[in-house]
Amino acid sequence: MKAKFSSILTLLLAFVVQITFAQDQTITGTVTDEDGLPLPGVNIVIKGTSTGVQTDFDGNYTISAVQGDVLVFSFIGLKTADYVVGNNNVLDVVMTADSAQLDEVVVTAIGITRDEKELGYNVQTVDAETITTQPNADVVNSLAGQTSGVQIVSSSGEAGASTFMTIRGSASITGNNQPLFVINGMPIISGGGNSGTGGVNTSSRSIDINPDDIASISVLKGGAATALYGVRAANGAVIITTKSGRNLTKRKIEVHSSIAIDRVSQLPARQDEFAQGNAGNWIGGYFASWGPRISDLEYDGDSDYKWDPFGRLVPEGTGNGMPARAYDAYDFFQTGVTSTNRFSISNGNDQGNYFFSMSNLDQEGIIPQDTYGRTTMRLNASTKISEAINFGADFAYTNSRANNIQKGSNVSGIMLGLLRTPPSFDNSAGYEFADGSQRNYRNGGGYDNPYWTANNIAFMEDVNRFTGNINFSAKVADWFNINYNGGVDWYNRRYVDQFKIGSRGNPTGYLGEFQSYNGIFNSDLLLNFNHDFSDNFTAELTVGNNLYRSYSKFLFGDATGLEIPDFYQLSNSSNNTTSSGVSEFKTAAVFADLRLSLYDMLFLGFTGRNDWSTTMPESNQSAFYPSASLGFIFTELEGLKGNSVLSFGKLRGSVARTANIASPYNTSNYFFASATADGWTNGVNFPYQGQTAFSVGSGLGNPDLTHENQDTWEVGADLRFFNNRLGLDLTYFENENSDLLLDVPIAASSGFTSTFLNAATMESKGVEISMNASIIDAKDFNWNVNANFTKITNKVTQLADGVDNVFLGGFTVPQVRAVVGAEYRSIFGFDWYRDEQGRVLINDDPTDNFRDGYPMADNREMVPIGDFNPDWTANITNAFTYKNARLSFLLDIKQGGMLYNGTAFAMNFFGTHERTANREVVYTDAGTIDFSQTPAENIVVFDGVYGRVDANGNPVATNVENVTPVVEDQAWFQGQGSNFGGGPSVAAMEPADWVRLRDVTLSYDFPELVNGIDNVQVYATGKNLWLHTPYTGVDPETNLGGATNAQGMDYFNSPGTKTYLMGVKVTF
Amino acid sequence: MNKIKGLALALFAMLISLTSCEGEWIDSELNIDPDAPSDVPMNLLLPGIQQSMGYNLMGNNSVRTNNIWMQIFDGVSRQSFTEARYQLTPADVNNLWINTYTEMMMNTTILVQKSRMEGSESPHYTGIGQVMQATTLGITTDLFGDVPFSDAFEGSRGNLTPVYDEQQKVYDTIFTLLDNAVPNLNSSENTFAVSGDVIYGGNLAKWEKAANSIKARHYLQLSNVLGNEAYTKALAAAQDGFESNADDYLVPFEDSNRNPIFQFMEQRGDIRMGATLVDLLVSNDDPRLEFYVEANGDGEFVGSEIGSQNESASAPGPAIAGTDQAVKLMTYSELKFIEAEAHFRLGQTTEAQAAYEAAVAASLLRVTGEDQSDWIASNLPGMTLESILTQKYIDGVGTNQPYADWRRTGLPSLELAPGAVTSSIPTRFPYAQNELDYNRANVPTVTITDKVWWDQ
Repeated sequence: MKAKFSSILTLLLAFVVQITFAQDQTITGTVTDEDGLPLPGVNIVIKGTSTGVQTDFDGNYTISAVQGDVLVFSFIGLKTADYVVGNNNVLDVVMTADSAQLDEVVVTAIGITRDEKELGYNVQTVDAETITTQPNADVVNSLAGQTSGVQIVSSSGEAGASTFMTIRGSASITGNNQPLFVINGMPIISGGGNSGTGGVNTSSRSIDINPDDIASISVLKGGAATALYGVRAANGAVIITTKSGRNLTKRKIEVHSSIAIDRVSQLPARQDEFAQGNAGNWIGGYFASWGPRISDLEYDGDSDYKWDPFGRLVPEGTGNGMPARAYDAYDFFQTGVTSTNRFSISNGNDQGNYFFSMSNLDQEGIIPQDTYGRTTMRLNASTKISEAINFGADFAYTNSRANNIQKGSNVSGIMLGLLRTPPSFDNSAGYEFADGSQRNYRNGGGYDNPYWTANNIAFMEDVNRFTGNINFSAKVADWFNINYNGGVDWYNRRYVDQFKIGSRGNPTGYLGEFQSYNGIFNSDLLLNFNHDFSDNFTAELTVGNNLYRSYSKFLFGDATGLEIPDFYQLSNSSNNTTSSGVSEFKTAAVFADLRLSLYDMLFLGFTGRNDWSTTMPESNQSAFYPSASLGFIFTELEGLKGNSVLSFGKLRGSVARTANIASPYNTSNYFFASATADGWTNGVNFPYQGQTAFSVGSGLGNPDLTHENQDTWEVGADLRFFNNRLGLDLTYFENENSDLLLDVPIAASSGFTSTFLNAATMESKGVEISMNASIIDAKDFNWNVNANFTKITNKVTQLADGVDNVFLGGFTVPQVRAVVGAEYRSIFGFDWYRDEQGRVLINDDPTDNFRDGYPMADNREMVPIGDFNPDWTANITNAFTYKNARLSFLLDIKQGGMLYNGTAFAMNFFGTHERTANREVVYTDAGTIDFSQTPAENIVVFDGVYGRVDANGNPVATNVENVTPVVEDQAWFQGQGSNFGGGPSVAAMEPADWVRLRDVTLSYDFPELVNGIDNVQVYATGKNLWLHTPYTGVDPETNLGGATNAQGMDYFNSPGTKTYLMGVKVTF
Repeated sequence: MNKIKGLALALFAMLISLTSCEGEWIDSELNIDPDAPSDVPMNLLLPGIQQSMGYNLMGNNSVRTNNIWMQIFDGVSRQSFTEARYQLTPADVNNLWINTYTEMMMNTTILVQKSRMEGSESPHYTGIGQVMQATTLGITTDLFGDVPFSDAFEGSRGNLTPVYDEQQKVYDTIFTLLDNAVPNLNSSENTFAVSGDVIYGGNLAKWEKAANSIKARHYLQLSNVLGNEAYTKALAAAQDGFESNADDYLVPFEDSNRNPIFQFMEQRGDIRMGATLVDLLVSNDDPRLEFYVEANGDGEFVGSEIGSQNESASAPGPAIAGTDQAVKLMTYSELKFIEAEAHFRLGQTTEAQAAYEAAVAASLLRVTGEDQSDWIASNLPGMTLESILTQKYIDGVGTNQPYADWRRTGLPSLELAPGAVTSSIPTRFPYAQNELDYNRANVPTVTITDKVWWDQ
């Protein structure tokens, strides 16, 4: 009634105006929302005047204006839009939701959209704009520092390297801890990239997403948020919605190009004073750099000595006068270049819409021959079959291709060969002789020359992926509609792993050929009902059904002992092995979601889901997962309403039970093709002696498995002050994970090494605080701050009976484990002998075999020596806009957490680390250390108290502080000062805190630069331009095994990068 | 009209998803791995066990370590250098322990169980399984002392923490297994003929000789416990043991499945031949030198003094680290050395001398491929206990026997390595981390300088 009255008024007004100013034109049009529904009551004013109208009940308006006038359309909760009056008399306007406004709509589980203010749990959204200007190929890296409660670890700076993501800690001991990824309602495969300690670092499959296709991302963190995903809910979910043409009034084309440059970031410091050799003598081909001072050497110029173009190194004055020099091994790294081009075209009207995009990314990494490339295509389209029925389909194709580079604990590893190379040896002076044999610093033995690795060893991966779904919605009645979403995510992954004959790890050459087929089918049917019991009590109910199938199969063949060099074909060898494997399971579920709203103040939600899974034993296939949540907007209470300080306040709380299921084939025992290896060598397998063979699997099947459980609760507050200028969101949560399925390691004397049990419990507790403030909100200048703080503890509370730790990954020593009572993924290794107060014992027994004045490794048993998990993390984004310019920078802070710097620990042994430079010791005639003549910087006193080890290997402590000066000489570094000398891993644990400028982006928009071009955006982005860390190795955002639960290991990991990116985005 | 159309479509969609629902969609059969069998015949179990025995019992976690300690090898770099200083942690023996208990003894247990199944009794498989089990158990207990056996391999019946048998009981078990093997091998009622045997090609007579030879090995090992009874029992068993090199109990390797020490030298390379052994060979102009020892870069046969990290010393030669060099679970020459020592200890010098010469001759023939009677005539050291054990030490290169004999007899005498982290050469392996972690209550507390039961 009110709307009608005002429209009559408007008409009258318009009539009057028209009479008064003859040159005016009458503008008419319809205002609709993003769904095409008419918006009544939209205010339309001519900018700078008080002249205005409102839309009528059907969203129609008429206003009289002069050409060049600006019409301002405004409506609460929607983005205010300006339109300039042109020649056209019809101006239809689609108003879009304003994300800065209270009524932010978020996509929650199973694609149900809800007003954020109603939610009884925390959901954070990430703005698409912040993603598209990022240089990261894998969109997950672009989420780092954007939200609270999320930890993201990029495994290295290699092109296409994997990334590990967890939300609110970990929920499983040895299973998957990474969140569910959902695109347009279709769960997709996002894992992968778990690479072990050697080999290559492959990509996580989240890299297949074109970041430019993304319209919005919701991060669902807690159990209540994800409960509708049932058995896939325990690790949180990342809900991605891609762009559509729905909001458009005209055809939109976007062309977006960028070029990024990668530089290696921090590297371990190497000494450059001492040459290859032992005990002060130069020895060609020797493994270590304990030779003489380089400055005391010259070349002998002997051209018969093939390992160095200038000949052997000899004492100064005895050669050809050409002085020896130190080479910078790090010259190996190059400037990486990534070029990315994207194109999209989209449009929509009331009959339907489409979005089509293509993109291509080509990256050359900082390591020669290390590349990643991606080509994507996407078509999202939807059309109305009738007023009430909508049909849509999304199809995406991705080709991801990489050449991965050997890394880690691997005689072909890039960093391993590089960092062990003596400074007096120049790797770049040739890696291959004319006869095809290898030139390296070990005179052909030892480790591959990094240039050999880059040029003669390749791991070429090629993934072709198709993701598509159809969706269908029908509005049967005002109170009832139906949604269906069904689709597939399917990819074929192929790699060729080739080692040239003469490679150190595969001297006879190697070829591996791998093919896998991986697919998911998912179907969701939702029936949505709503009913308004009264103005103050409304209810919505969704009931649904989900069917899910996961299938993967791989085929693998390899060949060693290649006959024809450089010919990589399985037939080029008589030594072939083959294998294949299948993994298939299905789940089915029914679910319901009930949402009640009272007085726009109390929002109550209940969900329930029952899942059936084929991976569980027949008697335990079914399990039920409920949740309940409450949002209470207390500022709706009389007396608090309209408060000028606290403009909005909500308390929320929720409880939920979610889960995880077993992986397939764990309910019984199987036999597998026999093979054996000893941890040192490649081992042997079958066929052997013309036979084939099988052995019983080392995992003991369990016919009594049940579903895992995750019981969670969270409470929180969403407070906004000063007319929403300042927002504060606080959450406290607890996750109690019980009946966790795990391959429980058991004593091998039982005949098996593991059994699959519902054994473990683990808890995760944490606080998440988010803050956003609009500090300056002036006409031309804005300053916004967004900050997030997260503190999570993630303790293992119980493993199986008799098991107090479980191996997650790493080495024989050290290794990453789950340990009862300790933070999940503790690093286990040997410690020094210590007294009861934990002080290191410094040997004072001249009769034993330990050196006096030095600490002593306690090799009795491995103990926890640190963990990777941070004490807390925080991130702060400052964004400034001045007219069309925008500058934002993101500081990312990680406090606490340790890394095993095995790289430096091993470099000690080889005498290549900078800290081995202080090695020179002056001896007296009696053969003792002459402390007065030995350079002061070469003398150390170890922290600790005097003590010794008795005949039984037990420590005996004194209470006397150690003051004995000693030297860190070759004997120390080749003894307990390094891993190979028997030093304990604890000596290599280093704090891995950081403060980094993760992102700085400067952009400028040129609207309507030329006729026909709506906008040109030019931007520059820098990633990791500044890093402050006590860690002495590579960038501490790293992990040896890639995307794996075993985090915290650095053993010749490839370095991280700093990135500089320039981009231009043209919209027309 | 549209509403009706919508409803129809909606119901159709519902029908699609619901008809295929729970009942047929959730099919338990799907959880049976199509790529792994639930059961396999005995002839497919046998070669897997044998390959693992060869690769691991004579491999890099057993022989490489204790032959460094015996100064047959020297660890010149990285972990091998650490081991040369006698540092060996529970984690270092994990792979050996796990492979022994799962790949070898668990699968042998299954093999023996299958061979006794009603209706398909195959005592020939039973007998072979028992000999292999006794061989494996014998080497394992000699390295570790008390080990689980009588309570082991019962994981599928819920016993995840087996108790440890005292070594004395383990030895009884070894003898019982071997005693039972002989009638089984001779049984005339056998359903499935043996195939898949890569050691003896199903030759049951050779398996019987192996059973008796292994028995002799372990009776001799009890010399400090049983005194002369050990020698008489060893001699009695040896009577029906190996009769020539052709009976040797060997695990073959081949181009596509290469010798473990070869692979170590190829892929790790951190050991060289030890000076103690090389000096012995060089000083006596031993024809085995060039087969055991590879000439170094300067064309010389040089051993690395223990602790010297002499990377330019000689690498192991083809008789140890040849690509397809077979490994020796037991040899005819070892049996003759057992006889020589037993006769010598019993004062039967004539028999001892004959066995001593036969042992060395067999060793030389096996290693060099040629009859070396001339060398024996001129160079064989006069028979003493020390020379018998020294020659046995030279013969046993690449096996666990030099370490077992050295602990039992102290021969040949060895110097402690410089930089040793223990006060004496270790006299056992530590228990595996896997057992310390998951079966702690049952694992005896020992240090690696504690002695095993027979080492008194």
